[in-house]
Amino acid sequence: MIARISYAFRETWASFKRNVTLTMAAVITSAVSLLLVGSTFLIQRAFDNLLTRWKGDVELIVYVRSDADPNQIQVIEDALKSQPSIIDVTKLRYLDQAESYAEAQKLFAGDPGTLRLLTPENIPSQFKVVPISQDSNLIRELGEQFRGLAGVREVAYAQDVFDVVARVSQFIRIATTAMSIVLLVVAVGLIWNTIRTAMFARRREIEVMKLVGATNWFIRIPFMLEGLLQGLIGGVLSCLGLWGLNSAWSGAVADFNDTELAALVVTDGYMRFVMIILLGIGAIAGAVGSGIAASRFLDV
Amino acid sequence: MIRLENVTKTYGTEIPAVRDASFEIAKGEFVFMVGPSGSGKSTLLRLMNRQEQPERGEVWVAGKDINAMADSKVPYLRRNIGNIFQDYKLLLNKTVFENVAFALEVIGRPKHVIRQQVPAVLDLVGLSDKEDRFPHQLSGGEQQRVSIARAFVNRPLILLADEPTGNLDPATGEGIMRLLDRINNTGTTVVMATHDQRIVNMMRRRVVQLDRGVIVRDQERGVYD
Repeated sequence: MIARISYAFRETWASFKRNVTLTMAAVITSAVSLLLVGSTFLIQRAFDNLLTRWKGDVELIVYVRSDADPNQIQVIEDALKSQPSIIDVTKLRYLDQAESYAEAQKLFAGDPGTLRLLTPENIPSQFKVVPISQDSNLIRELGEQFRGLAGVREVAYAQDVFDVVARVSQFIRIATTAMSIVLLVVAVGLIWNTIRTAMFARRREIEVMKLVGATNWFIRIPFMLEGLLQGLIGGVLSCLGLWGLNSAWSGAVADFNDTELAALVVTDGYMRFVMIILLGIGAIAGAVGSGIAASRFLDV
Repeated sequence: MIRLENVTKTYGTEIPAVRDASFEIAKGEFVFMVGPSGSGKSTLLRLMNRQEQPERGEVWVAGKDINAMADSKVPYLRRNIGNIFQDYKLLLNKTVFENVAFALEVIGRPKHVIRQQVPAVLDLVGLSDKEDRFPHQLSGGEQQRVSIARAFVNRPLILLADEPTGNLDPATGEGIMRLLDRINNTGTTVVMATHDQRIVNMMRRRVVQLDRGVIVRDQERGVYD
């Protein structure tokens, strides 16, 4: 068994050295395609983060100044509850400063710059409002009334954010998904071709192996290992690239503290998850591409 | 050991390479397949280790119908069959020892078996002192001995030799024949395709003669023609 494993690794390594240019082409293509796959994941997640605050049909948020006194808050709440024909009073939620701070931790998780500026003392608390009425003009009218109330810092509408997010995210999603699929196919094709070349270079050995009774799996495994390794190296490179891109992006949007852009970041935990996915896709694509090639050319 | 029953093999749409061939080879026999180029000798050998499959007829080797056998079983069939070729088919980047060891390595034999069997078989073919040479440092006859060592190292039941003396001068070819004779005396069945009249006449073994894919003669202790 150990002899077989060491044989497989020896052959894989020898083949790698023999085919440097083709191997590099395959590795780079898979890296770029995986980078795009990863970007798609991250962008999706960033937009999801952006929408966290609008979860549960919340259409309207009334932000309360951090220095508002309990009376002012009570006035706002009463005013909201006095409109049962427009808003769903039972779903009206008040997030005090501690809860708002906890939510902000999630929203700005990838953006330590913004987080550092926020404390449980200076963060605005908020009323999350779920409307009954479907009429967005009515909701907007109501919101405008609240702008004038003492203690209200800001009124935000889901519709405004949704419109932008939906348009941008859909465009980006379609574009990156299409590109990453195309590139992934190219990467598998290149790995396939590398393996074919590697097998052609070793056709005498393969012929002898078949004649002396080596099993097809024994012949195939070093080639599959080679393809798997190419995919995996591509995956590692794409992870490095993705990490770099994400850091640069997070740094750039951190400057837009007060805007929705600042929420367009992802957490380290999700980043790790995406990286594992990328390594997995790379490895599987490499092994499958080379496995198909190895099977195709084994029966000549 | 080997039995062919009404075997026909056609390549493409041309005339059959082998037509309705039937014969049986007993264990331990030494058989020459003779005939001019293109008469179907090589095809017959290739049918015996399932490098080719016939359109019609059955090929039985060591008690098994090898064309009814699953693809996954073919490697195990081939471990019982050694192959020798006119062009040796040695791996040029490997030494004599490595070439022979390769045959054991790729069927998963452990190192200690390889270290024991390879020197033994190299001794048998008379190349003990050339273990570390590369094929290009050897004469044709020596290269063919390496290829015989590789074919025989796993102690196969059958040895298929396709024109093994085709590239060698007469004296060297005779040396190879003596070696094959010795291997045959250990009980290994040897089937050899050749058009070398001198060698066939010298050995006086069973001769199966082919003409355009048809067996025209099958003679014990025969001569070429």
